[in-house]
Amino acid sequence: MGSNNKVRKMNPKLNRKAWGFVLPSIVLIIAFVFYPMIQAFITSLQTGMGNNLTFNGVANYKRLLTDSTFQKALFNTFIYLIIQVPIMILLALVISTMLNDKKLKFRGFFRTAIFMPCITSLVAYSIIFKSLFANDGLVNVLLMKLHIISDPVLWLTHPIWAKALIIIAITWRWTGYNMVFYLAGLQGIDDSVYEAADIDGANAYQKFKSITLPLLKPIILFTTINSTIGTLQLFDETVNITNGGPANATVTISQYIYNLLFKYTPNFGYAAAVSYVIVVLIVILSFIQLKVGGDKNE
Amino acid sequence: MSKKRKIMNAIKYIVLGLLSFLSIFPFFWMIVAATNRSVDVTRGTLIPGNYFMNNVKTLLASDLNYLLAFRNSIIIAVVTTAVAMIVSSAAGYAFEVYKTSTREKVFNFILLSMMVPFAALMVPLFRLFSKFNSMGALKIIGLNSPGAVIIISVATAFLIFFFRQNTKTFPKELIEASRIDGLGEFNIFLKVYMPTMKSTYAAALVVTFMSSWNSYLWPLIALQSPEKRTLPLVLSAFGSSYTPDYGMMMTAVVIATLPTAIIFFLMQKQFVAGMTGSVKG
Amino acid sequence: MKRKILALILAVVMVVGMTACSSNKTNTKDSGKTGTTDTKETSNKKITIWAWDESFNIVAANEAKALYQKDHPDVQVDVVTMAQDDIVAKLNTSLSSGSTEGLPDIVLVEDYKIQGYLTAYPDQFYDLSSIAKPSDFASYKTGVSVVDGKLYGIPFDSGVAATFYRKDLIEKAGYTTKDMENLTWEKYIEIGKAVKAKTGVDMCTLDPSDVGQIRMMLQSAGSWYTDANGKVDIANNQALKDAIKVYKQLVDAGITKQVSDWDQFVGAFNNGDVASVVTGCWIAPSIKKAADQSGKWAVAAFPKMAANDKSVNASSIGGAGWYVLKNVGNAETAADFLKNTFASNADLMNTLADKITLVSTLNAAANQPNYTKASDFFSGQKIFGDLAKWTGEVPSVNYGLNTYAIEDIMTEAVQAIVTNGANIDSTLKDFQVQIEAAVQQ
Repeated sequence: MGSNNKVRKMNPKLNRKAWGFVLPSIVLIIAFVFYPMIQAFITSLQTGMGNNLTFNGVANYKRLLTDSTFQKALFNTFIYLIIQVPIMILLALVISTMLNDKKLKFRGFFRTAIFMPCITSLVAYSIIFKSLFANDGLVNVLLMKLHIISDPVLWLTHPIWAKALIIIAITWRWTGYNMVFYLAGLQGIDDSVYEAADIDGANAYQKFKSITLPLLKPIILFTTINSTIGTLQLFDETVNITNGGPANATVTISQYIYNLLFKYTPNFGYAAAVSYVIVVLIVILSFIQLKVGGDKNE
Repeated sequence: MSKKRKIMNAIKYIVLGLLSFLSIFPFFWMIVAATNRSVDVTRGTLIPGNYFMNNVKTLLASDLNYLLAFRNSIIIAVVTTAVAMIVSSAAGYAFEVYKTSTREKVFNFILLSMMVPFAALMVPLFRLFSKFNSMGALKIIGLNSPGAVIIISVATAFLIFFFRQNTKTFPKELIEASRIDGLGEFNIFLKVYMPTMKSTYAAALVVTFMSSWNSYLWPLIALQSPEKRTLPLVLSAFGSSYTPDYGMMMTAVVIATLPTAIIFFLMQKQFVAGMTGSVKG
Repeated sequence: MKRKILALILAVVMVVGMTACSSNKTNTKDSGKTGTTDTKETSNKKITIWAWDESFNIVAANEAKALYQKDHPDVQVDVVTMAQDDIVAKLNTSLSSGSTEGLPDIVLVEDYKIQGYLTAYPDQFYDLSSIAKPSDFASYKTGVSVVDGKLYGIPFDSGVAATFYRKDLIEKAGYTTKDMENLTWEKYIEIGKAVKAKTGVDMCTLDPSDVGQIRMMLQSAGSWYTDANGKVDIANNQALKDAIKVYKQLVDAGITKQVSDWDQFVGAFNNGDVASVVTGCWIAPSIKKAADQSGKWAVAAFPKMAANDKSVNASSIGGAGWYVLKNVGNAETAADFLKNTFASNADLMNTLADKITLVSTLNAAANQPNYTKASDFFSGQKIFGDLAKWTGEVPSVNYGLNTYAIEDIMTEAVQAIVTNGANIDSTLKDFQVQIEAAVQQ
């Protein structure tokens, strides 16, 4: 279908109708994303308390360089990104490969069960995680009974374990979601490809590496970018589970923006400057991922 | 070979079983909590109790109007989902079917909007919406109206992208054939495309309904009056209590999770099928 | 498949039915309302109150409402429960855009936060000077609500700090209530070690993200993170250094139980895992929730820091006041409401003392019968009398505009010093710079 990529000349009447289809979406997205985005940029060049804003050039952006809380938030966000996204993607891939076996019993059950976390609301899931991972919570009790640990792990109050808990929580909530995409992709791969590999005596790992991964590449790329965006905007989980604690050990950039707007005496200009950092990061990272993952074939 | 297979199989079942257990366990915990008294919940009981109806009674008797919030949430989620299906699918369809280089550029531009964090938009958006209140007909999407919450999630880059991807599986010959039959472009979309793409719509419906049902930050800011509040806002008010009743709270959470659970279970098959379409092409 | 579709249709019908029913209800209610407003032309006054915590502030607001409506049956009062963070988020967005759509007439604001609002949005708050005088209230409370000599808020609950402790456990460790008088932190830690050794129970909870204990110690010495002029005061703040040292001793003594949020904090003393709670008096209702511990508790004054001669046996934490938003519409009615209730009514305070263990900051409340009653839960102690006395002794400090912004960074400094053993002087010097950068506007 080479012609598919070629852009045809369209007759003007049809072209106008086509714009009619997309117009509502374009108007809405411009009005509710790009217009406020420009507003936010203008605000980011201003300073002041509440509404008494005055123009001060790039001072807010310079301030970022000396703001230790911002740097901590940036660092934390990157830790989540570097550790959590690969773990989740890999886990989702492995699960979906296992589930792709048509002879597997209870396939529907496994799939439903692993997707279930996606239907929970954040309030529910954070309350549950907080109580399960409390110092004397069920997780610690179990780990101690199994003699894996001798003292309770301070999941919520130790700087490193708190980060680990956030990573566990996000992985719990979102692995199933990514799995569904991979499952869908795997269904598009013809069984005969795997059968041929079986005849060649390929083991499971080889099949995964040389068939599954390459064929799923576009989907992996899509989910990776999606997860990256989600992680860079991470907010609800850290607010609800650890509230950024202990001592800012789990705070994220989005939460810092929220704090600047709502927890502290509001500083809209500076908050807007911080939020532009996320935008720039997302654009850069998505670009890198596209370059690395999407060696163009069209 | 077959022995190795068996072992591999056994490992597979153990791993999947364990993961399923880990995924479901918190739900079990939530339901157990909803059937117990607050004190037992804090003590970490794992045995279902018989206090559910009492919890429901306390919940309904509380100052926060749970039923009203439930109704608001349903209205907002249903309308958002319905309108989003039409608006976003029309765009996704057109971007794929009527390709021109200008529109390709517009499409990429729309994809960029996915990268904007909501935190950055909050305050400018609020100012924008507060202006709608004094702009005649636009008042229906002004602050403090369900419209404000609905309109913002009707056209999302993700959904448009999703529909566009699925449209790639839609047989273009059908369009040509319909044109020959004398159907207008809009009718082709309405009468040919929509019915053909049922499972795509089902998947989009599940995703949109869930995100609308669980959305928190924007409704929090946009809906000021208590009688306009949605469920997540009421749950958050419960959660902020200094002497929380856990049994009641978890009952509230369980009931609030039901609609998404029901929708998911009812549409699971179509959901998976729809997802498959989105990753082709 | 067909079954599923049927089920879906049923579900939709149910939901729509429910929606229709409830919308009918609201409609009739609404038309009823309009009916009354039509008949009495002047009676369309309606005020809305926002507050958080339905077991405390909301109860108080509802009592006040009932009281006010006895004399003003024509005024409709709506009390709305909302999480404190949600109130703050809404106020910030609305006030910043100048929109008053849906805002309340009266709002409860925490003492640490109000100065920020009054400075950033001076035109949005109603001057209450005509309905109350600062001298009617505990002196340390009114400082935050006064700007340019005008009173903008009605102080509500006292945040006076106290040492709530388990008498039975202290006694098991060989101490008596006598030892808890004129308590110092040093003595407190000594008792804590004995309690831990004899009973195995920790002395108090510790939340690494919450340095409220240090904040209280600071105020007990008449000091804050900022000086009287609002300038960041960290590097050379002797009271802060003393407080961090005490805090480190407390942590090093190994007599604390780590918690990470409010629920675990409350759970710790309700389950009998700690022998004392040093915090604001608003904790009393939560302590009393463990009915099986009735008669085992007692209350002593806040411990002072022996090393700091300015430190006294009194401090404060939390606490809030009622404010009127000027441009929402019914500011005068709202002010009149406050005038007749929280600003003057000792009777109301008396009722609330019983209902929610409110320690009022209204001076006139002190003589009310419930404020002189003994409490069975607290071993027959007349706790209100004691708490009121300590309320009068709390040093007044300027909370400034940035308490929370500073404290979020201070938790890191405290962690560095306490957990990692960093040098206190050099650490605070570093953080002085960081914090100054963080609070610039």
